[in-house]
Amino acid sequence: MFALEFPPINELIRWRDLFTSFNKISIIACLAAFVSMLLFFLASRKDPLVAPTGSRNLAERSVEFIERDIVMQTMGKDGMGWTPFLLSLFLFIYFCNLPGIIPILQMPATARMAIPLFLALVVWVIYNAVGFRHNGFKYIGAMVWPKSVPVGMRPLVGAIEFLSNIVLRPFSLAVRLFANMLAGHMLLVTFAFLSNAMFTAQTKQMFLRPMGVLPLFMLIFLTAFEVLVGFLQAYIFTILTAVFINSARHIEH
Amino acid sequence: MHTVAVVMTREGRLHVSLSGTPISGDTTDEPMVAMASTEATAEVAAKDPSPIAPEVKELVWGGGAFIVLFVVMRVYLFPRVRKGMDARYNKIRGSHESATALRSSARADVTTYEGQLAGVRSEAKTVIDAARQTLEAERTAAVAKVNASIAVDRASAMSANEAARVAASGDVRDAVAAVSTHAAELASGHRPDASKVQGIVDSLISGGAR
Repeated sequence: MFALEFPPINELIRWRDLFTSFNKISIIACLAAFVSMLLFFLASRKDPLVAPTGSRNLAERSVEFIERDIVMQTMGKDGMGWTPFLLSLFLFIYFCNLPGIIPILQMPATARMAIPLFLALVVWVIYNAVGFRHNGFKYIGAMVWPKSVPVGMRPLVGAIEFLSNIVLRPFSLAVRLFANMLAGHMLLVTFAFLSNAMFTAQTKQMFLRPMGVLPLFMLIFLTAFEVLVGFLQAYIFTILTAVFINSARHIEH
Repeated sequence: MHTVAVVMTREGRLHVSLSGTPISGDTTDEPMVAMASTEATAEVAAKDPSPIAPEVKELVWGGGAFIVLFVVMRVYLFPRVRKGMDARYNKIRGSHESATALRSSARADVTTYEGQLAGVRSEAKTVIDAARQTLEAERTAAVAKVNASIAVDRASAMSANEAARVAASGDVRDAVAAVSTHAAELASGHRPDASKVQGIVDSLISGGAR
């Protein structure tokens, strides 16, 4: 019998502390923040009046991406003040996702619940604060008694809206990011283990070894796919944040 | 026949097994070792936290890193990059506007030049027309003058010609009269009246000329 043993999930996603209360996820989170800051620091040192290249080009493209494809699409020109927050959010999530395919690191920090949960809570606090700031207590009133729906439907829609805004949104925001990145990480690990096991199988079934190429190809494909997923999840989290903030500002709509 | 079995243990350990095949001696022991290992770690694994539950240290480090990033970005980095972008955009916009102004100015200059060119052309046309008229008048006058001169010369030549013709005609008549007189004298033996012969010759020549 040929047996393949996968390690427990905790061995794949939990890391021993490097020193007290500091593990691999913490390193990746700190690196994500550092790389983002380094990118913008290097960009800010270059002459802005000449055509941007290198780090300056990357930084400006990311600013324009946030402004044009997220802020303008969801909040309009009034939302330009949110660009630094949304930019920080996008870069942080993206650089936390990216280590999932970087050798040695090989773990997206967002495949652990802590960072998605923290970011979702920050977003939750912010959009509710924005809602109260722009609408006062009408924010809650318009949420639980929406005037844009027929009177008979208002209790039901109001309850759904309240539940959605206050409970489900941060939860779904965090779980979407966490689950996608965890699933991607597990897929990569699975195909890597499978490929390795088939290449090194101690068996007389010689067809098994060359068949190890199949999971290897799948591993390569999924690695490329994870680049897209990492970017996409950062984009989705950021654009949903912008949508939530904007909907909190205009709760009557 | 081959059978594949996948078994998930309580602590999340996954076993995949392929049976019913001729195998090497080494691999037969592996599942047993693995099972033994599973049994041994079952107690420890049961104490493991949920893989979904967030860890406080990750929450603190991740949150701290994000907050630091946001503050630095909001206060220092983003404004500098944005300011640079705005400066370049303004420079490009300024250059664009100055280029537009320059183009408008050039178009105005071209319009002025074309106006001036049209004026010069009109003036040239006037001058050319005047010159043409002057030339035409001068040519007409010269032609008239030449024609008059030719007419005078022609009249003079015609009168000279007429005089010569008359003179020649008189000479011819005289000669004919002399010859006729001499011929008549030879034929009749006496000399005819010269005036009569002259009259006859004149009438014959005049009649022949008719």
